[in-house]
Amino acid sequence: MPEESRTIWERSYDRKGFIAISAMTAFLAACGGDDDGGAGGEGAKTTTGAMEKVGGTLHYYNWADYVNPKTYPAFTKATGVKVKKDFFVSNEDLQAKLQAGATGYDLAAPTGYMVKILNEAGKLEKIDWSKLPNAEKNIDPKFRKLPFDPNDEVSVAKDWGTTGYVYRTDLVKERPTSWRDFFDLAKGKYSKKVTLLDGAPEVIGSTLVMLGHSYNSEDEGELDQAKKELLELKPHILAITSTQYKQMVVAGRASIALGWNGDGAFVASKKPAEYVVAEEGGEFWVDSYVIPKGSRNPDAAHAWINFVYDPKNNATETEYTFYGSPVKRELIKPVIDPEVFKNTDVFPPTSQLEKLEANDISPKGTRLRDRIWTEFKAA
Amino acid sequence: MSVEASRLSLRRRRTVTAGAGGPRYPGWLALPATAWYAFFFLGPLGILAVFSVSRREGYTDIVYSFTLENFRYLWDPLYGDVFLRTFGLALFGTAATLLVGFPFAYYLARYARRKTLLLLLVIIPFWTSFLIRTYAWLIILSPDFPIFRALRDAGITSEDFSLLYTREAIYIGVVYNYLPLMVLPLYAALERMDWSLVEAAEDLGDTPFTAFRRVTLPLVLPGVVAGSLLVFIPLTGEYLIPVILGGDLTVFAGNLIAQQFVTARDWPFGAAIAMVVIGAMTIAILIYARLTAREVQYGG
Repeated sequence: MPEESRTIWERSYDRKGFIAISAMTAFLAACGGDDDGGAGGEGAKTTTGAMEKVGGTLHYYNWADYVNPKTYPAFTKATGVKVKKDFFVSNEDLQAKLQAGATGYDLAAPTGYMVKILNEAGKLEKIDWSKLPNAEKNIDPKFRKLPFDPNDEVSVAKDWGTTGYVYRTDLVKERPTSWRDFFDLAKGKYSKKVTLLDGAPEVIGSTLVMLGHSYNSEDEGELDQAKKELLELKPHILAITSTQYKQMVVAGRASIALGWNGDGAFVASKKPAEYVVAEEGGEFWVDSYVIPKGSRNPDAAHAWINFVYDPKNNATETEYTFYGSPVKRELIKPVIDPEVFKNTDVFPPTSQLEKLEANDISPKGTRLRDRIWTEFKAA
Repeated sequence: MSVEASRLSLRRRRTVTAGAGGPRYPGWLALPATAWYAFFFLGPLGILAVFSVSRREGYTDIVYSFTLENFRYLWDPLYGDVFLRTFGLALFGTAATLLVGFPFAYYLARYARRKTLLLLLVIIPFWTSFLIRTYAWLIILSPDFPIFRALRDAGITSEDFSLLYTREAIYIGVVYNYLPLMVLPLYAALERMDWSLVEAAEDLGDTPFTAFRRVTLPLVLPGVVAGSLLVFIPLTGEYLIPVILGGDLTVFAGNLIAQQFVTARDWPFGAAIAMVVIGAMTIAILIYARLTAREVQYGG
């Protein structure tokens, strides 16, 4: 099991990974794509049985390596739909492509805040929940009506995760549990051994939460307090990076890093390390299924969403990506690998989740953060 | 007198080239270049100018209007510092590459035996992506690199000394990456030098230094100008070296612009910053060109 889970960990960190990896995956997918072709035979069995034959092709635009390779042939078998894959490396990458007028994608999986942006720009089709009986039945109500799509009109949750910090348990003697601990250790003993994500929302938001404010605050006074904390922290930061910190913590060049749970799990699979969701709270993000405007086969997109909302199929996904499942826990528990279910990085205790907030920053808040972020970096 | 003379000769030269003596080229030959320039330079520049006076509304929408709001927002000591720092970096990079590059180019043009080989060594780095070469410096600047380990073991540097993710790392990266851009035009100018002129000056009583100042320098000045511009201009937009080698701990104009376009999604503000950079650069270059042009005239 340890061996196997390590390979799973290694894959899971690709979500926010490098172009090279995504390009390679795209290449491999292109090579392997045709194998799925003829698998749409009659009488395919599904676990729910109620799977409708849809046919055609599903053009799926996604983060690299964010779907269990086993899911594609199973889906094709159940629905007769072939899957064509394409990958993006950041939400902004996806946004740029869709806003430049790219059409032909039937399904994509951006992060919540980008769902809102794309929706406001009129780039998304409506979701027809009557075609999603599995999702209707099995989704944890926590993942309905999320702030970025308050009426569940254009998105259905795919995966979720948190923003916290990872630290090396062998290099850090203390056992930090809060954002205050993180700041204190960074400004004290572990000065110049700490990295931050290159993201104004994550860094400023976590600081706001430490001060007892909302992650999404747009109150100038509160933001000013956060700025002061950050300016004090600045001289102790080793680097600001979203892509290199995993390797830096694994190599021991950094001891503590503000980051995402998938990356934390990656570090923990290589070295003694612990990922912390801070006591005060923090961000939880949700990547959601959306149907881009101009989709030629929205039925296939609905079929995919409905397919992966079968608890068994969803367990297969979670066992591969190691990101949280939006399916009700009591439904996924009996069908998922117990080792994965026990992993608190993947399934944090619900008590912890109640304090977390999703990114929902207003344009005004974005501009205020941008100035603070510039000042912080320039300090 | 001499100023007048050189002006005269310049004017005469111009009439010669523009006159009927030389071969005449049909004007349409310039069409591809002009079209390219209009489409890929003036076009985007115009779009940028329009964006810079527009407003952002909501998360991404650009509302076309005429407002100076973006420029007013830029009028802030914070952004002033960013521009000054950028100017400083560009100035440093130009001076440092000139200081390192000139003796090398001079040696290469005047004394070197294996010119082709040495020139090849200058060019070879271009065969690899800029990004990969910069990432390679992460390994060299790491505290685990043998040189730094040896220095540490010998007690010369302190236990936690590290160049990685410091301003010095940015400076090293800048000099390394931009050096060939300086060396090549310098070499091209020095290569055309008629060294017998220098010898003549020395025969007539100039010290080697005076001969260099009065003969060599004025003759290779166009190369110095070309090299300086090639280094200075892209440096004002440099943003990858500070991100990779500087740990993204400082902000230069390039980073500020990228931040607006990619993460803050405020294209009008990003466009305004870009316009200011372009404007400031144009002024700086005009002044520079003016100063060096005068130098040529008097020096000659």
